[in-house]
Amino acid sequence: MFNLSSLVQKAQSLIDPMQALNISPSDRNPAKALLFRHQFRLPDSQTPLQEITAELTISPPITYAPNATQGEKDKDRERGYHYAGKLHLSEAFLCFSTQPTSFLPTASTSISSGYTGQTHGAGPGGNGFTLPLCAIRRVERLHSQSYQFALSITTWNGISNIPSNDASKTPVYQQKITIQLAGSRQACERFCDGLKRGLKSGVGEVGKLKRVVSECYSEYLLQGDGKKSGDPPDAGLGMLFRYPGDARKLRDRSKMRLWGEYLRENGRNVTLIRQPTFHKLIRVGLPNRLRGEIWELTSGSLFLRLENPTLFVDTLAKFEGRESLAIDEIEKDLNRSLPEYPGFQSEQGIERLRRVLTAYSWTNEEVGYCQAMNIVVAALLIYMSESQAFFLLSTLCDRLLPGYYSTTMYGTLLDQRVFESLVEKTMPILWDHLVKADVQLSVVSLPWFLSLYINSMPLVFAFRVLDVFFLEGPKVLFQVGLAILRINGEELLDATDDGAFISVLKSYFSKLDESAHPKSENAKLRAVTRFQELMVVAFKEFSGITQASITEQRNKHKDAVLNNIESFAKRTSIRNLGPDSKRLNVEELGALYDRFYGILYERQQRSQIIQEEMERRAKASRARAAEVVTGLAERQSIEKGRVGLGPSPTLMDYDGFREFLAGMARWAISDTPTPTEKDNPAERERHSYFGSSVRKRENSLSPWGYGNPEPADHEFMRRLFRRWDVDMNSALTLQNVVTGIAHIKGKGDIMGSITYFFELYDDDGDGKVDREGILRISEALLFLSRRGLDGSLTPSTSMTGLSEYEAGNGGAIDGPHGSTQERFLSSVSAFIRRCFEYADPDHPQNQTSEDSKMNGSADTNAFDIGEDSDDDHEEDLLDLGTDASAKRGNKSTGLPSGPPPSESPNANCKQRNVSKAMSERANAALDPSKPLHITLPTFRMVVLADELLEQFFESSFPASFRISEKLATGPASSSSSLTTFSSIGFGRSTPASQAGVGGTGSTGLVPPGKGLRGVLDNIVTDGMRVAAEVRRRMDEAQKELEKNAVQRPEEDDDEDEGYDGKGPSGAYGGDAERRSVRSEDRDLLEGADAEAGSIRGQEGISEVKQGALSPKVTDSHRARSISQASTATEKVVEFER
Amino acid sequence: MAEATAPKPSSSVKLVLLGEAAVGKSSLVLRFVNNDFQENKEPTIGAAFLTQKCNLPTRTIKFEIWDTAGQERFASLAPMYYRNAQSALVVYDLTKPTSLIKAKHWVAELQRQASPGIVIALVGNKLDLTNEPSNSSNALGEDGDGEAADGEDADGDARKVSTAEAKSYAEDEGLLFFETSAKLGTNVTEVFTAIANAIPETSLKGARGPGAASGTAGRTEEQSRVNLTGPRDNASKEGCAC
Repeated sequence: MFNLSSLVQKAQSLIDPMQALNISPSDRNPAKALLFRHQFRLPDSQTPLQEITAELTISPPITYAPNATQGEKDKDRERGYHYAGKLHLSEAFLCFSTQPTSFLPTASTSISSGYTGQTHGAGPGGNGFTLPLCAIRRVERLHSQSYQFALSITTWNGISNIPSNDASKTPVYQQKITIQLAGSRQACERFCDGLKRGLKSGVGEVGKLKRVVSECYSEYLLQGDGKKSGDPPDAGLGMLFRYPGDARKLRDRSKMRLWGEYLRENGRNVTLIRQPTFHKLIRVGLPNRLRGEIWELTSGSLFLRLENPTLFVDTLAKFEGRESLAIDEIEKDLNRSLPEYPGFQSEQGIERLRRVLTAYSWTNEEVGYCQAMNIVVAALLIYMSESQAFFLLSTLCDRLLPGYYSTTMYGTLLDQRVFESLVEKTMPILWDHLVKADVQLSVVSLPWFLSLYINSMPLVFAFRVLDVFFLEGPKVLFQVGLAILRINGEELLDATDDGAFISVLKSYFSKLDESAHPKSENAKLRAVTRFQELMVVAFKEFSGITQASITEQRNKHKDAVLNNIESFAKRTSIRNLGPDSKRLNVEELGALYDRFYGILYERQQRSQIIQEEMERRAKASRARAAEVVTGLAERQSIEKGRVGLGPSPTLMDYDGFREFLAGMARWAISDTPTPTEKDNPAERERHSYFGSSVRKRENSLSPWGYGNPEPADHEFMRRLFRRWDVDMNSALTLQNVVTGIAHIKGKGDIMGSITYFFELYDDDGDGKVDREGILRISEALLFLSRRGLDGSLTPSTSMTGLSEYEAGNGGAIDGPHGSTQERFLSSVSAFIRRCFEYADPDHPQNQTSEDSKMNGSADTNAFDIGEDSDDDHEEDLLDLGTDASAKRGNKSTGLPSGPPPSESPNANCKQRNVSKAMSERANAALDPSKPLHITLPTFRMVVLADELLEQFFESSFPASFRISEKLATGPASSSSSLTTFSSIGFGRSTPASQAGVGGTGSTGLVPPGKGLRGVLDNIVTDGMRVAAEVRRRMDEAQKELEKNAVQRPEEDDDEDEGYDGKGPSGAYGGDAERRSVRSEDRDLLEGADAEAGSIRGQEGISEVKQGALSPKVTDSHRARSISQASTATEKVVEFER
Repeated sequence: MAEATAPKPSSSVKLVLLGEAAVGKSSLVLRFVNNDFQENKEPTIGAAFLTQKCNLPTRTIKFEIWDTAGQERFASLAPMYYRNAQSALVVYDLTKPTSLIKAKHWVAELQRQASPGIVIALVGNKLDLTNEPSNSSNALGEDGDGEAADGEDADGDARKVSTAEAKSYAEDEGLLFFETSAKLGTNVTEVFTAIANAIPETSLKGARGPGAASGTAGRTEEQSRVNLTGPRDNASKEGCAC
């Protein structure tokens, strides 16, 4: 019993990794590293390395005495403030928080996210500190009886004011904190070791720290009173153009005094220790000159700046003079950002705004510039320097307002939805009223969130909201919004339309500075302003709105919001596809859109997973103690690429295009069965059995994704890609794809279709296709038909030309059905023959008389065939060809004339047809030394001469692009149809291929070194090609059969409805025969095998030619790709554990 | 009916402004509502809401104007604002050809997604940047001039979209068409008056004045108004009494 359950568990754990690829990250618990960073507002580079329970003791600096005895020191510590909490260590930070949290891998996520609940005004960091390790000057281990394991930390507090020559003589600035670690000795030691290592690597950063800190106003503020030296650091445009509001009314001076006192005692900027007073001071509103610095500190953007102090300047320098769409958009808005503030009526203010917005648009090109950013940044610039504003903007976009300013603004829309649901929950009556009156809440609330109340409330109040927002995070926006509605609830209930609703709120905002209770008897109550009331309501009454509840709501609504955006984007995009798209109907366009972006999305996901895995491995291989934790790093980025989330890829490369076609057209699916196989139950079972061996599951991470068929790679697809890529950027846009498909499918007339095909092969656009092109066309025809033909290919009795021709040769065909494939094959060979017959020579002067005669007759024939379908005439023509074949064919190609022994009479006759056709093509008139070409009219004529080809171009080629219907790409379907087809081709083609290849062998026409080109230049080339193609199919049929015999005795052939092919029964019927042939001729047919490989070759045609004749190359190639896939799988498996 | 004795029937009409960023949507509204112009108007975040009355001889129309943000990425918010709108002003900047393309996109979007029967006016703004004599009296009198201005970039004429081009597009799509200058006030009230006239009476929602329920007379009247090309000249002559 136990064994069984553990087995099940094991199996599940093995299956899971694959499933995990399909679940959205919102379903997963947020990674602890992310939570850790959010709690302490650390840069993305940080991960939790160590943590330990600890008690923080802060002794007031005034009592510090360097020469005190140990006992006195202990006393000091007792007199100071004590905080119990957790001490965390990351790569470059030492953090302490009183909020109960844990980021240990073993801890549950609920503990980790503890701080996202109510924080009682302390913000996520709680009381404590976030010390960059480079800001720590000295750490001493305290040997004291009253402490088991205590550290005394001295910081670089006030580093910029410490004279460089003798730092130790300025004890006034010395800040010392004591931390007592609680934990096993071992745990403490481990923590200290980590800390030691971190400190060592942090030593080099002290210079940076000094530079960053010197831009903080607090350093200037705390310089010895009365003897301030130098210019104060830039504290925003407010220093030049006055800060908004009445400084006296704001009691700026007394706030400043209080802050000075606090900072003196508790450290400033990077060395600041958060105590309850800190949070209270923020709640009452920051003093103007310190506002920017505290925002920077509480939001954590200070740490970003510390990480790369020159990023702002460097970015501007790097992109100087460059232009972008974002810059155009920024320029439009520069003059209209807080235009009423005098600083932004001046060139200086505008310049600052321009620089910050531009620099940011370069560092985050995905976001670029979004209207509202100008307003927010303008507001920031009143209080902080450009560099500070730059980093704060980046913190805003990345962390505080995720997705707000993205190109789809999904974050904005999502939070609106969240806000609405919170209103519904907390104020149901108001909500009902809104619904009844058909007032859309977000039309008023959206600007609140998007521009952080800055252009809704008077500036002074908006900044008060911002003070708290940067400390406590996004929930503040919701709390304030809810409070606004609550306070105005009565009046809002009277409003019955958008207009009234808006004007109620407008007038409320304009009266925020008035008394909330003007008629109250109580003077104290009368003194309470509406804004104070708002803050109280927001943070008391709606204290239940926490980061956790917002995250929960966001997860709940995320999909709906994204779907909305995506359907909007789809609608818009489809509508704007231009005139060509009109040839397709809306459903088709929709399906194309989905398919196009679906593939881009999936491809991106796959590459991302693979890449992340690589990175992780690279990191892991560096063998550091921290690995265990790194493995849990967030994987949010996997979501990227979804259209709704912002800039997603819009260009499809050739591989994507192959995948795109494979989802739509059967012929575009590769014949190699590898990746598709695992869908079959037997295979899958094997996977779980051999689950422990990762290699077995290689397919789950094939570059084409789990369960997807591998797309073929054929020259035809390349040509199609090039043709559609009208902008020549080696990538297709949706527009390109739609136009391309519209041209193929939309025309609906055969002439258009033929012309299109011809043009595909007319490389230089001169209206001529040469010998090579003709061969390629026929190759493509075979390629396109190898899985059967789509559309209505009805072998009608009117197909006299072909059937009589065959009948005339005494062969009874399999009947009107089933032989379509077969006949198509012969149609193609006839096509080649006719092409060459009617081709025009390139150099008229070299033309032999025979050629000219042929040409002449060809022209008249063209007319006749096109117009009359004169059977007799056609037969004549063919007879003529037969004569030629009898002589020349044998001579030049050395075709064995005797039919192979294992042949049925049926096959026999067909073999003769083919060999005859081949020999016709071997006509000396087609001597490769005489370049020739066909023109469009010739091509058209040749196609129309054959009813099957005609039908192919009329219906089955366009129909093979199945836009709307879901192509059943299951491996069963593709292989079964392949089987069927191959089995059809088989009976008749075996001898032919044998013959062809036999000829190759005997005449030695294919010297290995020469490659396919050598083959082509030979007279028998085309025949060989057909033969090889046939051989390849036969081979596949063989493989298919063998496989079927092992794995799939029962196989349904539902997919064959299109052309009524032979069922598996037929295939099995010929089994023994086929096998015997195969074993006999294996050696001989090596060349053909290779040729078959060329059809699915990987690179350009030229390379294929190389590979075609050396099966080893192909094999090794395949092996390599398999091993690639297998490593990829391994990665994922480990990743998911 | 009671028109002679009772006060004119009044009804509200929801109007949405759409168009590329910085083509002057907000300025048009500001001109219409406050008869004012600001050189540096803050970009609209989300949307702004304003109202203004328009007096027609037979009725009063109260426009509830939703002025939307123009930046491309705000486009996905637009459905929120054009929801239930009976009329729309699609604005382009006649010195920027791309803005006309965007305007066409908006027209297509509205025709498919907005409430059926929405009255759409195509407006080319910034007429003041062309050096054509601005004629505030006639909305349609520039056919000839427009052709002449085509491709004419010299002597300070910034016009890049010819009147003829935009007008023929508007006719094809059955839109009202105006060229305006929010800065000078050219044609601004005319646009709104024409829209007011073109609104079919049956589509007027919850009219708040007396005589909201339109009688048979109202219906015939409406039928004549559905024909957008007909009464336009009359409309502009009537002017807006607001």
